[in-house]
Amino acid sequence: MIKIFYIKDKDLPFLINSLCADYKVFSPLIKEIEGEKTDYSYNRLFKGDIPRFSAYRAVEPLKTFFTSPLEKVSGYFKEGVNFREPEKIVIFGVKSCDIQGHKVQDFVFLEGQEKDSLYRARRENTVLISGDCTDFKNVCHCLAWEVLPHPTVGFDLNLSPLNDGYIVESGSDRGEAFIQRYKDYFVPAKETQVLARKAKRESFIERLRKHLLPQGLVSKAEVQRLMKDGYSADTWQKFMLTCVECAGCNLICDTCHCFLLSDEKDRDEFSRLKGWDCCQYTNFSRVAGGANPLKTRTQRLRNRFIKKFDFFIDNMGIPACCGCGRCIEVCPGKIDIREVLKDVKDKVSRNK
Amino acid sequence: MKNIYKPTEAIIEGIITESPNIKTFVLRPKVPFEFKTGQFIELTLPGIGEAPFTPSSDPNIKDKMDITIMKAGEITSLLHGIQPNTPVGIRGPYGLGYPLDKFTGKDILIVGGGVGLAPLRSLLFALFGSMDKYNKVVLRYGSRTANDIIYKGLIPEWAKLDKVNMMVTVDVGDPSWSGNVGLVTTILKDLPVDLNNAAVIVCGPPIMMKFVTLKLLDLGFKPPDIYLSMEKSMSCGLGKCGHCRIGPYYVCKDGPVFTYEQLKDLHDIWD
Ligand code: SF4
Ligand code: SF4
Ligand code: FES
Repeated sequence: MIKIFYIKDKDLPFLINSLCADYKVFSPLIKEIEGEKTDYSYNRLFKGDIPRFSAYRAVEPLKTFFTSPLEKVSGYFKEGVNFREPEKIVIFGVKSCDIQGHKVQDFVFLEGQEKDSLYRARRENTVLISGDCTDFKNVCHCLAWEVLPHPTVGFDLNLSPLNDGYIVESGSDRGEAFIQRYKDYFVPAKETQVLARKAKRESFIERLRKHLLPQGLVSKAEVQRLMKDGYSADTWQKFMLTCVECAGCNLICDTCHCFLLSDEKDRDEFSRLKGWDCCQYTNFSRVAGGANPLKTRTQRLRNRFIKKFDFFIDNMGIPACCGCGRCIEVCPGKIDIREVLKDVKDKVSRNK
Repeated sequence: MKNIYKPTEAIIEGIITESPNIKTFVLRPKVPFEFKTGQFIELTLPGIGEAPFTPSSDPNIKDKMDITIMKAGEITSLLHGIQPNTPVGIRGPYGLGYPLDKFTGKDILIVGGGVGLAPLRSLLFALFGSMDKYNKVVLRYGSRTANDIIYKGLIPEWAKLDKVNMMVTVDVGDPSWSGNVGLVTTILKDLPVDLNNAAVIVCGPPIMMKFVTLKLLDLGFKPPDIYLSMEKSMSCGLGKCGHCRIGPYYVCKDGPVFTYEQLKDLHDIWD
């Protein structure tokens, strides 16, 4: 049974205050850029801080809370090198695209024969408090992948702003327990409020749809076919020209999960490090003997798309893109994932 | 809490020089370590790094494991420089290995090139351990020169075995060599193998595997009967780090052995 509650705006700071006693709390805070454009960035909240409800996703992907650019994942040959239980954290202001993207990380690290126990412990110690989007960025295109701009699964609690407060929906046992624990702040939502949430969501979807429609985006249903038929299209070569191999697109992506293990010695202590790796780097697929199946930027750009829109659809049933548009914002070469896909479609249909 | 990235310790007990740039390292794991033939392990040179290798020893031997390594990159060069009794790390075993059950009742053709004979030696030991299950084993091995042939002592012994037929060739002949000269594809004719009841296992450098596969198809072998050991860049061995993708597969988790049927429609498999 879905339990839906309501919390008043003015009670939110008190809730956050209570949370700060038990958890490290993170929330997107506004960082104004060039006056007009608003960006949100996760910051630690402390007792007394007032959380702001973010209109859309933060700059950082959610993966930054669960994996690291570079960290020690094991010591070896010595007993007793073990890990502390990860800290309990609450992430406030997660958006629907974040949750969708993070399904890929969960699939990689929690599924299959071998499971990453450090990742799992972090995941289990994290409470996700998501929120509906009330605005979008220019680059937002979640709807193209059939991801709605409000979370429907994968959160512990979700907040939908309404009048002078928020509708709160619990999406997990943990969310349920959470509401019980802090029950003073919540009242059951009225049916009219739930209906009002529905209307508000629909009108926002309509607004986003109007923004996206003129863009003529490639759809979820056709994208895998395009990867197969467009393998030899000149799209890859054309868009690669402005790529400077910074790998920003990989690093900022909430579905990109590739990593590299490396080893280190400090006096007589051996450590294994795990750090994000990126398929746009020249040596990503180079083998010891020197062969490199992804020698050229053309091959590497294509690899990024095939991994997202062919490999993951085969292996997981969803594309490894949530439409957050982070890679578009970050790219110094102005390579736009939407435009690349449209170009493939164009080339494929012309060849028919 | 199991840490999938953590290696356990093994001691290098012995080092055998097989050829100028290939050595076999005999490892004794500190905790029992089992593998199926064709599965691989990640070998750690402590504090330096890891690399994947398929053991070349009999999978039925549980307390020791041989790894045959060609000097190719940084880690393998450093490995070639180490002394016996050095501790190393191991993780694994990973991958699916050779599907021995599918080979039952068949004529087994094994084609090896260079250091590719290492995983095949493990397979041969496994097959020789229960030869009553298989019709015959036909081995075709190609090496660059006579000096580069590995397991020199074993090859004549294998040739004497019942139901085993073998041939060796070198790419470049020299006065010390009185056998076949030519690429391994040149000794793939008049094979004593029933095309309709065969399993062909190929392991060697990508270029060799490519031409052997083309030759095998030409001879009439069927894609589902051709088993190839694929080589890709690897880091984790766990199906997580993303390095070893080939089409819809990860070589570490879905391979390293694939049938040509699985690969034939994929792009750039030999690169
Ligand atoms: S992509 Fe969609 S869900 Fe993500 S921030 Fe933009 S509108 Fe919200
Ligand atoms: S962000 Fe742009 S320039 Fe940087 S690697 Fe990605 S595609 Fe290339
Ligand atoms: S080696 Fe990491 S996914 Fe295969």
